[in-house]
Amino acid sequence: MNVESRKTMLRLMFEPVADKLGYKFSPDTELVEFLLEQEVNLEKKHGSPFCPCQALTNEREHDMKIVCPCIPFHLKHFDSMRRCWCGLFVHKDITDPDSLPQIPESGINLKEV
Amino acid sequence: MAKVKMYTLSTCPWCMKTKKFFRENNIPFEFTDYDLLSEADQKKLMKELIELGCTGAFPVVIIDKEVIIGYNPDTYKQVLKLK
Repeated sequence: MNVESRKTMLRLMFEPVADKLGYKFSPDTELVEFLLEQEVNLEKKHGSPFCPCQALTNEREHDMKIVCPCIPFHLKHFDSMRRCWCGLFVHKDITDPDSLPQIPESGINLKEV
Repeated sequence: MAKVKMYTLSTCPWCMKTKKFFRENNIPFEFTDYDLLSEADQKKLMKELIELGCTGAFPVVIIDKEVIIGYNPDTYKQVLKLK
């Protein structure tokens, strides 16, 4: 399967999962295309479409938590940013993804979310 | 001039934006692409990054002794005292 076909497959697989969690693909289509391409390449190399912006540690328990869409494993953190870490997904009400900064998990008060 | 070191992933667009920010502001920096290291070097580096507060999310930017996780130009400017 070529990269474009796999990107389309990933889109179809990810969309309903993200939707149930209150997220959608970012309106930044250029970013989405780039990230999906990186995920296809990561899947070819490592076996799963891992997040392109989080590090693989070769420890299965950690690495499985960054397989896209990784929202369920980081829900409070991502809900506080209203986006996932790489920005592939944003909350459904977001129209301007550029207004959402990356905030490290340590920089938010998860108890208040 | 502040000493800038950053840890990045070659697959991460925010890491690319981070490098672009420092280049555009003519601030020299060193960087290491974590994902391009050997498995042994990754393990060693991750241990160091965890001690700095990194949870595996990139980019990680160190300006002198200040550790900034994520692409955040406003914080870079603040720490670098840029206008």
